[in-house]
Amino acid sequence: MDRAGRGEVTMGIRTTVVGSYPKPPDEGAPFTVRKTIHALDKGTATEADLRRAQDELVREVIAEQEAAGMDVVTDGHARWDDIVTPFARHMAGFEIGGLLRFFDNNVYYRRPVCTGEVEWRGPTSVAGWKFAAETATKPVKAVLPGPVTFARLSIDDHYRDHEKFTLAVARVLAQEAFELQAAGCPIVQFDEPALLDAPEDLELAKKAIGVATKEIDEAVTLLVTYFGDAKRLGTELFSLPVDGFGLDLVSHVESIELTRSVPVGINLQAGIVDARNTKLEPVDQLVAAIEELASVVGPERLTVSPSCGLEFLPRDKARAKLQRLAAAAQKVSA
Amino acid sequence: MTKSVDLPGPGLWTTSVGSFPKPDYVVEARGKYARKEIGRDELKELEKRATREWIEFQDSLPTDVVVDGEMYRGDMVAFFAEELPGLEIGGLVRSYGNRYYRKPIATGPVGREHPVTVEWWEYAQSLTEKPVKGMLTGPYTICDWSFNEHYDTRRDLVLDLAKVIRDEALDLERAGARFIQIDEPAASTRMDELDLVIEAMHIVTEPLSAHTVTHICYGDFQNAYPKMLDIPVDQIDLEFANSDYALLDVFAEHPFTKFIGLGVVDVHNHALEPVEEIAEGIRRTLKYIPADRMFVDPDCGLKTRKVEEAKKKLENIRAAVDLVKDEL
Repeated sequence: MDRAGRGEVTMGIRTTVVGSYPKPPDEGAPFTVRKTIHALDKGTATEADLRRAQDELVREVIAEQEAAGMDVVTDGHARWDDIVTPFARHMAGFEIGGLLRFFDNNVYYRRPVCTGEVEWRGPTSVAGWKFAAETATKPVKAVLPGPVTFARLSIDDHYRDHEKFTLAVARVLAQEAFELQAAGCPIVQFDEPALLDAPEDLELAKKAIGVATKEIDEAVTLLVTYFGDAKRLGTELFSLPVDGFGLDLVSHVESIELTRSVPVGINLQAGIVDARNTKLEPVDQLVAAIEELASVVGPERLTVSPSCGLEFLPRDKARAKLQRLAAAAQKVSA
Repeated sequence: MTKSVDLPGPGLWTTSVGSFPKPDYVVEARGKYARKEIGRDELKELEKRATREWIEFQDSLPTDVVVDGEMYRGDMVAFFAEELPGLEIGGLVRSYGNRYYRKPIATGPVGREHPVTVEWWEYAQSLTEKPVKGMLTGPYTICDWSFNEHYDTRRDLVLDLAKVIRDEALDLERAGARFIQIDEPAASTRMDELDLVIEAMHIVTEPLSAHTVTHICYGDFQNAYPKMLDIPVDQIDLEFANSDYALLDVFAEHPFTKFIGLGVVDVHNHALEPVEEIAEGIRRTLKYIPADRMFVDPDCGLKTRKVEEAKKKLENIRAAVDLVKDEL
């Protein structure tokens, strides 16, 4: 995929997911990844067995996203527990700590603890992206944790300086993003949900995102926020040096007001179906939302998505939500 | 001012937060029941046996306020969702790591057709002279840990759930429960909804004369305190061991005005806390809260530990409390 929305004519409203996809299968189907991790814990399966099970899950979730009508897909974070620990485990300078609530969800992650200099030790997500790209027929987007979110979800016992710590993480993420681009990844997304709870970090985020995206001149860069109230950041959010922004327009409807201020030339990934509740949105309601957004930012700059990663939903509900999203986008485009 | 509690002794009473690990024979039987290899009655007999064993163990320590150990409950929200009209058990979602749960869905007006916990409470109380705590999940937590397809707002769902839990609490009280715990682990999730937690708890506890307790965990306590003290219960039960008693610094600024449930052993750690370490934690806390307003217990439910680990932790709590009581 070329740089969508950058000068070329793109027909129709594009659809995508934010990142994660439910790991459990439909009712009654075997849950191979879960069983394999249990077996690995008991010593009756190997790391290679787990990788095979995860490969199979990646194929499955990509096929499902494509069948549902997504124009850009992800690997569903099928190999990850959350957006930070896979990277923290791979970098120098981190240990993995105790369980903590992930934002305001009944979902918990293990908190990275920085105990030394943060350093790049080779790519974390590139092999996974390549595998997904070989599997998919649609473009595959890579998702990285944003540096501010990474720092805020961790404990800094080494730098004891939020800015220094955040920028050290940003330098490692810059290397990861560069490697993804070199592998051919067309879209690199940085997730910055923590920024919504920390508007005071906006200036730091500008620096840190600047560092993380410095070498990215071919891939499209996205900065995505979710869960909180983006209106709190105001239009300053759009001064972050990326090609597009993702907003959760469901968790705090006030965030919609920000869409009126998206600068010309900037893409919007608008989260319009609730990825944290099973209630299915009527297609007509989604059509109305898309039409309004298209009239504000222009259809050529608009991508629609769920409000956040889909892992908060059971598989069948996540799939049904994507089908409705695609149906609504198609209606508007027709 | 907080009312006094109807228990013998100078204070430092021992109790538990709620759940205990299920012995292997119950875990196996629950699996067989799920696969329809055994019937409900056969499972229930084994759950009763395990309940009896846990009560005997608590009495052997002894324990001042006993729990039934929740041998018959899987998940603390799903247990109620299975029994209450308006709530259905939904599909699998991940909680953390490789752990998944069936997240309930509110699909209609929430109500209650019959008491949900009273029969088990009566059974447990018939086995011991010590008071058995009634154990309920709070309305805010049931809402927060469920999907909502029916109600226009979270508040509407929480307030309906509050009436259901109040009716259950009243039935427990009528059956003879003098201690009723209404768990709200989710209370510390969103500071902007703490008022809703308080409003809902008021509905639950207003008509009760029993000693009421709420347990809160995984939280942003620094922000939730001291407002947390406005939750209308006699006692708040909190985790101390897993944060090395960091909350005490907060109590130094704003006095803790209720009975405390002092969590003194980490439930997510295999390591057994030594008696002296637990005793020191109790001594540190006594600088802020007097003995006659202090219950001592584990940080949280012990269900994720092995049976032997849980028993050893409870034995050490008993020994530490006896040690400190001698110093009073």
